[in-house]
Parts: sequence; C-alpha cells; structure tokens
Amino acid sequence: MHLWYAVFFVALAGGVFRVRSGKKLMALTLTGALLLSFVASPLPARAQVQNGILGSIQAVLGVINGLIQTALVAINNVRIALSNLEQIVVWPQQLINQARGQVLLLIAQYRNLMWSLLHIRLHSATLPAPQAFEVLIRDHQVNNFSALSTAYANNYGLVPLATDANSSDRGLTDMDDAMALDSLKVLKASDQATDVEIQTADSIENATAQAAPGSAPFFTASAIVSCISSQALTQRMLAAELRQEAAYLAHRNTLLKENANNTNLLRAVLVNLLQHQ
Amino acid sequence: MTRIQFLWSKVRAWLGAKKRAISVLALVLVLTFPWPARGQLLDPCCSLLAAGLASIQAALTNVVGRALNRILTVDTSINQYEQTVVWPANLIAQAQSLVAVLQGNLRQIQTLSRVPVGSATLAASQQLEQLLLSRNPNNIVQTSSAYTALYGALPAPTATSPQVLNRVDMADATAQAALKRAIEIDALADLELQAANQLNQSIQSAAPGSAPIIEAQADAWLMRAHAYTQSATADLMRLRAIELANAGSDIKLGAANTTSLRQALANLLQHQ
Repeated sequence: MHLWYAVFFVALAGGVFRVRSGKKLMALTLTGALLLSFVASPLPARAQVQNGILGSIQAVLGVINGLIQTALVAINNVRIALSNLEQIVVWPQQLINQARGQVLLLIAQYRNLMWSLLHIRLHSATLPAPQAFEVLIRDHQVNNFSALSTAYANNYGLVPLATDANSSDRGLTDMDDAMALDSLKVLKASDQATDVEIQTADSIENATAQAAPGSAPFFTASAIVSCISSQALTQRMLAAELRQEAAYLAHRNTLLKENANNTNLLRAVLVNLLQHQ
Repeated sequence: MTRIQFLWSKVRAWLGAKKRAISVLALVLVLTFPWPARGQLLDPCCSLLAAGLASIQAALTNVVGRALNRILTVDTSINQYEQTVVWPANLIAQAQSLVAVLQGNLRQIQTLSRVPVGSATLAASQQLEQLLLSRNPNNIVQTSSAYTALYGALPAPTATSPQVLNRVDMADATAQAALKRAIEIDALADLELQAANQLNQSIQSAAPGSAPIIEAQADAWLMRAHAYTQSATADLMRLRAIELANAGSDIKLGAANTTSLRQALANLLQHQ
C-alpha cells in the first residue's frame, strides 16, 4: 500500500510543479488527493471488539463457569468426603477417647490385682538354714551370689574331700551343685529382669492412655522389641534348665556306667574266687 | 564552501518559486497519508472490553474464589484435625522420649542376662561349666571331651549287656546335645538382645509413618525368637523323654534280671 502511495504521490508532485494555472492546480490536486485517499485507504477492518474479544471473553467466562467451577466443586466434594472419612470412620475422636478410657479402665481393673498376685509371699521354709536359703533364692538380687553359695552349702553340704570319696563321685557332686547353683543364680537375674519387664509394660500402658493414633505405633514397636528381649530371657532360663536336666541325666547315666563296670569287676573277682576253691 | 552556498541559494530560490505547489503537496500528504491506526486494546475508552473484563473478574471472584475458599476451609479442618487428633507433634515427641527411657530398661535386662553364674569348684567340672556358660558356639566342639572327662566314657562292650550299652549311649548323646543346645540358645539370646537394642534405637528416631516398618521387623524377630524358644523346649522335652525311657528300662531290665536269676537258682537246685 505504501509503495503505491509513494508512486502516486511522486506523480502528483511532478504534475503540481509543472502546472502554472491555478484552476489546473486545483483540479490536479483534488484528483491526486482523491487517488491518494483511495490508495491509502486501509482494507475494511473486521469488528474485533464484537466478534473477537467479546467472543473470547464469553469463552473464558464459559470455562470459568463450566469446567473450572465443576472441577472445583468436585475437588471440594472429595476433600469433604476425605475429611468425613478421617473424622468419622478412620480416626473418630469419640472412639479415640473411648480407647484411651479403656486403657485407663484396664489399668484400674487389673494392674494392682496382678501386682498383688505376683507378690504373694511364697516363702515356706521353717528351719533357719532353709529359711535363709529360701530368702536368698527369691530376693531378685544379683549382688549376693557368694551368700547364696554359702547358704546352699549350709543346706546341701560341701563336695566331699578327696579322702572321703572317689574322684568320679566328687566330680558328679561338684557338677550337680554347680548346675543347681547356676540355675538359681540365673533365676535371681531373671526375677530382677522380670521386674524391669513389668516396669516397661506399665510405662507403655500408661503412655498408651494418652496416645494419639499417630504416636501409638511407637509404643507398639517398643512393646514388640521388649517382647524380643523377654523371649531372650526365657531362652536364658531354658538354657539353664537344659543344663540342669542334662546334668541330671548324665549323673544317672554315670551311675549306670559305674554299675556296669563294678558288676564286671565283681564277676571277675567271683571267677577268681571260684577258681581258687 | 562557496559551492555549497551557491547550491543553497539555488534551492532557496527554487523553493521560493514553488511555494504554492509545495504547500498544496504538504496539505495532500497530511490529509491522505495512511497514518498507523491506534491499537484498540490499548484504548481505554473501549467500554465493551472493560465490561468483559469486569465479568471475568466477577466470575473469578464469585465462582473460583468462593470455591477455593470452601476447599481451603475443608483443608484447614483436615489439617487441624490431623495435627491435633491424629498426629499431634507433642504426643509423638512424648512417645519418642518414652522409647528412649525404655532403652535404659533394655540395657539393664541385657546386663542382667550376662551376670556370671559359674559355681563349680573342681577342675573337670569347672572346665565343662566354663564351656557351657561361655555363650560361644565355637566351644561346642570341645563339649563332648569335657563331658566324657567328667561323666565317664561308654563302658566296654564286654562290660555289660547291649541293652544297657545302648541306653547309656543314648542318654549320653541326649545330655550332650542338650548341653550344646544350651550354648547355642545362649548365643542366640545374646544376639536377640543386641537386635532389640538396635531396633529400639531406630524407633527413637522414627516417624509415625516409619515406626510400623520397624514394628514389622521387630515382629519378624519376635517370631524368630519364638522359634528358638521352641527349639530349646524341644531339647528339654527330649531330655525328659529319655529320662522317662530310662525309668521304664529300669523295670524291664529288672524283670529280665529276675528271670535270669530265677533260672540260675533253679539250675543250681537241680545240680544239688
């Protein structure tokens, strides 16, 4: 458009500079202006405001009122459903409080009762030496093992001297005493460990009474870990029991072996005796 | 210089002569030149555009804004409920500190389980007892020799009847196996206590979401511990079964011996 305008304008200028008469100049100027107006006139513009922008605004409004509103309402409904699920089904405050109350109820109902059951006095010996020994084997202490050994010897005697018994019998006696004492010492340690376990259980139960659903897994995990420890203790006691029972069986078996050997010796003596007659 | 002045004077003279034509051309140029149009979008006077933008603003405020506010209200409620009821930070911290306190109890139990309990006084029994209380599975291989040193070897085949020999050998085997199992179970118990300590330490630094993972592992360890306890119980039951069998064997051997004695006496009386 600008190129055509320049061409026509140069042509008009050439004409204007050559014309001398006023009438011709007027006519040429009007004609040129008309032509230049025609050349310079822009193409009819499309009504952007009415057809373009207005349409776009309507489209945006349509998206807001349609798609976005629907999506937001749906999101809100989901969030409400999630909230209800959490507050009514999964973690209802009322049931959480009820569970805490249940913990307190069970503590009140059973703890003292069980404590008193476990602490019923079982001591039954009547004579001084057994009484002293019984106190020691039930005192849950691990710092008086020498007193235990002494009290054991007071009740069950010492290993015979080498002059009083053969080496086999002395060995058997010493091992029997050792296994019995080992077991009693293990039991004293186990009794004390049991006290610690009960303390642990009480602490966990007390804390559970104030727990939240999010803090309870810590107590559960810790309680299970304590159960592992408890199993290990039970195994220690079983190991002691195994040693004790095995020693008992071995002792009886040794007597059987000795009987066989003695019988064999006796048979040889009798054969010799009969031969000499 | 004089040439430029000469040219300038010629131009001025020409312009002066064509003043009328230049004026007309300038007027035509101003009136007909296609000046650039002003952009409609920047035109503040476009009332339709303003109304449209106002509608969008109203829609954003009423539709989007209100809906987002409703979502925010629900989310705030969820957030508040989770922080105060489900996962309250103070109760989680309290739980972690209790677990730290319980760590002390675990250590105490571990110490108690390692209290030395050895009591034998003679050389042979001391040697066997040390092996049995060592909690060291490497010592299992030495157990049989220490056992034989204390409890004696199997009698010679000529020393007694095959029944008695079998019974003695079986009893020795069961007793030795039980003693070896005792060493093994002590070693296992040591490892379990060690693992329990480690697990408890992990719980102290766990999150509510990761604690169940540690709990699951602890459950697995507990199952394993039950299995070990059962294996030890099995050996204990074997010991008692052999003791019972021995008791029964006593009666059987007694009956056989009585029969043999009766037969021998009858033979003796017949010879007289």
